[in-house]
Amino acid sequence: MSSQRTIHSRAIALWAFALAVPLLAGAAVFAVMGSDPLAAYSVMFQGAFGSWGRFSEVLVKASALSLTGLAVILAARMNLWNIGCEGQLVMGAVFATAAALHLGDTLPAALMLPCAALCGMAGGALWASGPAWLRSRLGVSEIITTLLLNYVAIALMEHLYFGIWRDPAGFGFPGTAMFAEAARLPRLAGTRVHPGLLAGIAGAILLAWALAKTRWGYELTVMGLGPKAASYAGMDAARRGLWVLMASGAIAGLAGMAEVTGIHYRLQQGVAVGYGYDGVIVACLARLHPALAPPAAIVLAAVLVGGEYLQTKMRLPSAASLVIEAALLLSLLWLQARKKR
Amino acid sequence: MSLNLELVNITKRFGPTLANDHVSITAHGGEIHALLGENGAGKSTLMSILSGRYQPDVGEIRLSGEPVRFTSPAHALARGVGMVHQRFMLVDAFTVAENVCLAAGGSPLLDLKAEAARIRELSDRFGLDADPDRPVHTLSMGERQRVEILKLLRLGARVLIFDEPTSVLTPTEIERFCQVLKTLRQEGRAIVFITHKLEEALELSDRISILRRGRLVAHTTPAEAGGKRNLARMMVGREVIFAIDKPAVEPGPEVLRLEGLTGGGDPARPAFSGVDLALRRGEVLAVVGVAGNGQTELAEALAGLAPLTAGSVSFEGARHEAKAWAAAPKDALAYVPEDRHHEGSVPELSMTHNYLLTRLSAFTRGLLLDWTGGAEATRKAIERFAIKAEGPHQPSGELSGGNLQKLLLARELSRLPSVLVVQQPTQGLDIGASEDVWKSLLEAREHAGVLLVTGDLTEALTLADRVAVIFAGRILGVADVSDPDQVARISPMMAGVRQ
Amino acid sequence: MNDFAFLLSLTLKSSMAVLLAAQGEVLSERAGVINLGQEGMMLMGAFIGYLVGYLTGNAALAFAAAGLVGSLLALLHGFFAIRLGANQLLSGIALSILGAGLANFMGRGFIGKPGLRVGEWPIPVLSDLPMVGKAVFGQNALVYVAVLVTVAMWFALSRTRWGLTVRACGENPTAADAMGAPVIRTRFTAVALGGFLSGMAGAYLSLVFTPGWKEGISAGQGWIAVAIVIFSGWRPLGALAGSLFFGFLSALQFFSQATGNNVVPLYILRILPYVLTILTLSFAAALGRRGRAPAGLGKPFFREH
Repeated sequence: MSSQRTIHSRAIALWAFALAVPLLAGAAVFAVMGSDPLAAYSVMFQGAFGSWGRFSEVLVKASALSLTGLAVILAARMNLWNIGCEGQLVMGAVFATAAALHLGDTLPAALMLPCAALCGMAGGALWASGPAWLRSRLGVSEIITTLLLNYVAIALMEHLYFGIWRDPAGFGFPGTAMFAEAARLPRLAGTRVHPGLLAGIAGAILLAWALAKTRWGYELTVMGLGPKAASYAGMDAARRGLWVLMASGAIAGLAGMAEVTGIHYRLQQGVAVGYGYDGVIVACLARLHPALAPPAAIVLAAVLVGGEYLQTKMRLPSAASLVIEAALLLSLLWLQARKKR
Repeated sequence: MSLNLELVNITKRFGPTLANDHVSITAHGGEIHALLGENGAGKSTLMSILSGRYQPDVGEIRLSGEPVRFTSPAHALARGVGMVHQRFMLVDAFTVAENVCLAAGGSPLLDLKAEAARIRELSDRFGLDADPDRPVHTLSMGERQRVEILKLLRLGARVLIFDEPTSVLTPTEIERFCQVLKTLRQEGRAIVFITHKLEEALELSDRISILRRGRLVAHTTPAEAGGKRNLARMMVGREVIFAIDKPAVEPGPEVLRLEGLTGGGDPARPAFSGVDLALRRGEVLAVVGVAGNGQTELAEALAGLAPLTAGSVSFEGARHEAKAWAAAPKDALAYVPEDRHHEGSVPELSMTHNYLLTRLSAFTRGLLLDWTGGAEATRKAIERFAIKAEGPHQPSGELSGGNLQKLLLARELSRLPSVLVVQQPTQGLDIGASEDVWKSLLEAREHAGVLLVTGDLTEALTLADRVAVIFAGRILGVADVSDPDQVARISPMMAGVRQ
Repeated sequence: MNDFAFLLSLTLKSSMAVLLAAQGEVLSERAGVINLGQEGMMLMGAFIGYLVGYLTGNAALAFAAAGLVGSLLALLHGFFAIRLGANQLLSGIALSILGAGLANFMGRGFIGKPGLRVGEWPIPVLSDLPMVGKAVFGQNALVYVAVLVTVAMWFALSRTRWGLTVRACGENPTAADAMGAPVIRTRFTAVALGGFLSGMAGAYLSLVFTPGWKEGISAGQGWIAVAIVIFSGWRPLGALAGSLFFGFLSALQFFSQATGNNVVPLYILRILPYVLTILTLSFAAALGRRGRAPAGLGKPFFREH
């Protein structure tokens, strides 16, 4: 194990570089669209860091991104690529909504949120279980199955809030009724920052600790890096992969729960906005290191929040952040490939 | 002008190492030239230069007197110089004709029928016996090698270079290969083959060049070589003792017994069947055979990594039916696999990580791993086995093959096993490292019976008390090493001849 | 047109985008490169095809431009996968995100603006055949092109020297290189041609299938194309069958909407193509029927030195 210090200085150099290339790519896109890149970036920066209120929105997005990033990291440490965090997040939101809408009468108020959290995690795990089982038993690529299920999850969710769960008092608005007070996460005064952020940070610490210190983490590392050595040592990678992918889904499901109980207070359009896909980028930016997931999530969240501000301020499509994200992922891959050779 | 290929004063440097140091050799048409040397002597580099893969730093290549520069293997081949690599360069999913077609080039539309006709013609002329329509993955190693030769001939090669051509062949296939070589010689082609097997160089070749540490140390013929011992001295640079010091150990109780053991591969076609063997503490039992005769699967099955379908395993006083063996407790059975780089270890991880690989239970405290203890144990292993390493934190992928093998042995022996199964323990190691590994295996007899699976008969005879020969998945016989008559029967048995 | 002919016609129409993309992926993967950027290439192809059609009114130009942009994106992936030996899966995913981002960014102002609409191109005589004549031979020109591409792909891969080289690069690049095949160039060519087809597939969506530009117009068809390549066993003709199967499932949706036949709820029909794609993939794996993947698939090739 190299020392902590070299890890940090390397990571800082990596981050600096990884940020420069996508910024140039974004600038090129802005320029092509006839906007001044510097002005656009300054607006984006304003949007993300201009005030405490704006920055609090970065933290809001970072909580979901930390969780989906951790979900991707956990699976990727075993060389499994969970590209279905989006669908698992949606299912987590759906299950948490079910708890909020239907258990309110029977459950004591204090148990409502823990119960919703458990339901959300169960929903995410359930959604990942199919691909997990197919992968471990039949060797079907988890990338494609988890991804295709994203579309299914979104279709099902829409069916629910357009259909049977639609708020009867909502004047036809597509969405469920607002959750009761007991099913809403507390917020930091004057902002939308909710405890999901703490869950992301705690999860990152827990996972980093487990990977470094426990036998479970050691086995995960060996199974990810040396599958043949793992089976030589008697480890059952197929079985572990099943549970790890489901745990990954559960983490994404928790993010979905936090979205509906902390932000929207209902299931509606705007739950599936790509946090699952962003998780892949967070994971790569954090170099699959759980402890680095929250800071990586903040970086990405800043790009997203800045992109939204760009749209309101300069009428430039927020999809610019997608371009910057993709360029970021590519520049990270470039660095990784360079180091390998 | 008669065909000859000269390498003149070839020098090639890789960073600090001088792979070839002013080497000059000449291959003549109608001659078989053996290039003899240990691992790392520079044979492969020299042949890669000859076949166009590398460019020499200094020196030149002359083809029939005319200086040439080969910029790529394809270029060398265009000039009639081709190489058969140790790992065959064939597309397994393709048929023989498709492979040849790929190499031969031609019209944009494929005409496999015409190609097949040409293949048959060449095959008949050189006695290669190749069926153009068979997919390569269905061919035996010997057949694949003949396809490689055919490919070179089809492309008009006049100089054929072989890298360790017999290492993957059965004794029968080796016979066959020798005949093909002689046909090629008769047809006036020049042949160079790389080997570290002394017998082969003596039996097959017309000339022998010996490389040691990048330098040409001798140039001789089989008649003038002065026998195997002398050849070995020239190759290694010192007197080679073909028997290492092997202190007698009093054989102890039986620690492993296999009865009618069948398994490996798919159930319909087991890789080995009806294997009966017994192993006592303090003894080394070698299982020898040509690669692909079921010995790998047998070793893996004993380690619980390959399926068993019939028979039984008695171990530590308990008899286990075949199907129950994989799940049976095997803490006292240690296994060192053939692929030490990817199966026996994880190259990206530290030596400590790799030391813990099979020793997790001993270093687990509740949920946690005892990393301090693990690093300490690794440090001790590094000292005791004289492993050259920076320390326990160094990634094992940075170790040399010999040092990695010592780390694996240290790990497995630290479990104090009663049975130690090792596969090809010195493959790819130099003589110094091999001797260290052999010493460790002999020491392991103190508390264990050693089952040594090897394709290297010399190694088996050096270490083992008894040698079991496996052929086509069956044990053809077990020879006592102290009885010369029995030892003499080992070679024929490896070729499938039961006596 | 009776119901059967109508459904057949819808099936053919709904299959073609995924068919073109699947052929592109077959070519790329047979050369040894996995390109998970199908979705991105299709989206960019859809937008550029729409844009060029909108600006010039020339369908051929629109498709060519869409193909070219698909090739460019594919070459970007090729640079990472072939030249750098980066993680191909992640590079493909990045391409999917990039394509979506670029298309959405540039297309924002065009949402809802009617563009070029490429109409039917009935084949004389054949389209007058009774029953299925109009359904099969009264289609858009691109439908015939896609079928021709399929046949051409089959022919090129199995009967030409270039196809042999492509397959060798996908099976064993080291051996192919030793036999003098230009591995890097062949892989780049295959990836770029594959991207061209994916770009055209996108343009098919925005010019023929559901004319106009909207975000997420491909709705996961790029991913379905990747799945089809796997369960078709990396064969062009198998990919045709898989695409028709997917097309049929999509057609059911439109059919039930158009005919007002609500035996199966619409949301079930909506998720059916995705779920059945996963199930087919699983059955193929369980039965061991899927053809063998090219042995060198996803493995970068570098000449040792």
